[in-house]
Amino acid sequence: MPAVKKTVDSVEALERYQHGFITSVDQEFAPKGLSADIVRFISAKKQEPEWMLEWRLAAYERWLAMDEPDWAKVNYPRIDYQDSYYYAAPKEKIGPMSLDEVDPEILATYAKLGIPLREQEVLAGVQGAPKYAVDAVFDSVSVVTTFKKELAAVGVIFCSFSEAVREHPELVKKYLGTVVPASDNYFACLNSAVFSDGSFVYVPPGVRCPMELSTYFRINAAESGQFERTLIIADEGAYVSYLEGCTAPMRDENQLHAAVVELVTLDDAEIKYSTVQNWYPGDPETGKGGIYNFVTKRADCRGDRSKVSWTQVETGSAITWKYPSCVLRGKDSVGEFYSIAITNGRQQADTGTKMIHLGEGTRSRIISKGISAGRSSNTYRGLVSAHPKAKGARNFTQCDSLLIGKTCAAHTVPYIEARNGQSVFEHEATTTRLSDDQLFYVMQRGLSQEEAVQLLVNGFVKDVLQELPMEFAVEAQKLVAISLEGSVG
Amino acid sequence: MTLSLALEARDLSQLPSRRDEDWRWTDLRGLIRELPAPSPEVSADLSPGPFGDEGQAELLVVNGRVWGDVGLLTLAEGEARVVRLRFVSATAATGHGIKLAVSLAPGAHLTLLESYEGQAPDYLADAALNVRLETGARLERIVLASDHAEGVSVSTASVSLAPGAGFAQTVLTDGARRQRLETRVEHPGQSAAVRMDGAYLIADRRHADLTTAVNHAGTDGTTDQLVKGVVADQGRGVFQGRITVSPGADRTDARMGHHALLLSDRAEVNAKPELLIFADDVACAHGNTVGALDEDALFYAQQRGIPEAEARAMLTEAFIGEVIDRIVHDGAREVARAWAAKRRVG
Repeated sequence: MPAVKKTVDSVEALERYQHGFITSVDQEFAPKGLSADIVRFISAKKQEPEWMLEWRLAAYERWLAMDEPDWAKVNYPRIDYQDSYYYAAPKEKIGPMSLDEVDPEILATYAKLGIPLREQEVLAGVQGAPKYAVDAVFDSVSVVTTFKKELAAVGVIFCSFSEAVREHPELVKKYLGTVVPASDNYFACLNSAVFSDGSFVYVPPGVRCPMELSTYFRINAAESGQFERTLIIADEGAYVSYLEGCTAPMRDENQLHAAVVELVTLDDAEIKYSTVQNWYPGDPETGKGGIYNFVTKRADCRGDRSKVSWTQVETGSAITWKYPSCVLRGKDSVGEFYSIAITNGRQQADTGTKMIHLGEGTRSRIISKGISAGRSSNTYRGLVSAHPKAKGARNFTQCDSLLIGKTCAAHTVPYIEARNGQSVFEHEATTTRLSDDQLFYVMQRGLSQEEAVQLLVNGFVKDVLQELPMEFAVEAQKLVAISLEGSVG
Repeated sequence: MTLSLALEARDLSQLPSRRDEDWRWTDLRGLIRELPAPSPEVSADLSPGPFGDEGQAELLVVNGRVWGDVGLLTLAEGEARVVRLRFVSATAATGHGIKLAVSLAPGAHLTLLESYEGQAPDYLADAALNVRLETGARLERIVLASDHAEGVSVSTASVSLAPGAGFAQTVLTDGARRQRLETRVEHPGQSAAVRMDGAYLIADRRHADLTTAVNHAGTDGTTDQLVKGVVADQGRGVFQGRITVSPGADRTDARMGHHALLLSDRAEVNAKPELLIFADDVACAHGNTVGALDEDALFYAQQRGIPEAEARAMLTEAFIGEVIDRIVHDGAREVARAWAAKRRVG
């Protein structure tokens, strides 16, 4: 009875957070705590040039003078920044290596997570399945980047950030910190001082990147934070689609993840950036443990007619505090934000976007679907603004919230600032619970309550799911089901 | 941090600034460099206010001093009354504040025709109303703010309702140098109903801020809100609306709409329509639009021989008309309609 077996399997799979295992590898740590010496240590470990160290130290100085922000609708005990490791790496040689040199434990970890690190594995599936290149970041270092040769053949640079600092300093110098300056906010500033690894992508003029690029972030070490930095540049007329995934082990302590992502699009270029965020959300009953996900993501649409599209599926993290944004500087540039944020258990999320219209004829679109269940709290916070010069700016925003259960909260906090008479902004938001009528209808046709909820929720988030690249859409759909497990009945 | 605290304590640092989240678009600390002298007592011998002789009685507040019987604002059980409440700022470059209580016993019915009148420039005026409605009481509050272009004015109404009470208000303003009209409602649910409308027509360099906060504490409450604005020249309109549904306030039905027209390249509208929901069995929605006049409608009107300026005026008047049509008191509705026609902007 394959159908029954499948049901049993999927019910078992729904049990709990699946990526919560710990990989035991020999790891090397920087001493606990944060100081200028730790910043120097990280920089030295990565064999960085002097200018990079200077940049980090300057950020560290600024960070010391900043206050931790508290305006988000999230509650958490104060973070002790001295009680964490800022550098943790598997004991291996630094720099790019072939797969044979990678610790088999780490390879097994990625295999368990379903991330193909061997290029032939990607092809092992269905014939004609699309390829995608992976940069695998394990705690503070990138362990492997696949398909580099094939990408280099068309001029696309895809490598770890550390490698980019060494191999392409001119590009890094030109763009680093130009979208998110070190002084932008408290967590971005901290990241600028201690960032470890992340991905670097450069797509040269006129090139359409031949495959999806992706980075998979894994926090493994205890009492450590992850501070990755990603920089993607799409030169004139270029196109790239980039995916990002993340998981972490289940631990009783809270771990900080403060990343910075900078995207730059020049004339006629396009970047599609998709995230499936599934950090460990903490214990659903007690709220113990879980990742603090305080991330700064921003795109600068510098070029005319350029486009950036953010798609995010946020299901994990104890606390999520992030606003992937678009600065629409170029004439007729376009920004898009598609988001599904699901909170369950005791999770808290304060997420949304900023669309800053500076150029003429700029357009943006925001579709946000928030689902809260359990004792969680889910806030959409977004800003749409039009500068006096942004004649003909257009925005459409739709934020829908779905509540499942009596003890959760859903908030919508949009900010709209229109400063010229030729822009048109439309915003609509609704908050409802799952309709009893719909549930009844679906269950009447033989689905269990859990399945019925899944079906309706999938319908609710459909607008966003269809924006995801196919590989992620399937995973995301499963994640939606997992995240809502135990939220009804 | 409020203007009234700053006036009482004569302390500038008590003024709200853009660093206060609720005042991010209406900065007083950055605007006011020194506190003016307290306003003097002046005679209450004034010409009629914007509501003329509508209603049965008038309570006059000039420079923060009450002239007349404050008892007009306390209604006994089952009593019904229409009262004009006028706040007049009569002296240039002075400051004053006033606090008044409005109390409606069960089943009482009050129509409050409230006006803010600025007769001299550069004043700082603060008015606070504390409103309490008992079971089954009804209050319709129509506020017409005609502050001076160079006046600074803050009005705050805190309204608490008993179950089954009804509160409806319409706030109409053409702004001031800086002006904030704020309403906070404690909504017990249990069939109490709230309507909170507003319209702003802003030109020159004026500023108007309509801020509302409704907290639904009990089940079965409804809130219906429609705010519309038209901003021309270098005017600035601000709308902040917050609807909170507390845990257990099931079957709350709350709807908020804010729509604004920008008629010039330098006009500005800032809006923050907020929903904070802590209960699941609710139907809450908000809509917000900001844009220019519909070119197609303008073209249609012109095609039929209506000059452009006239067509624009007609369209903006019709736009605001939707808010004015919801006023229940006939006389007040006519006054509001005349106000909107006279203050055509753009």
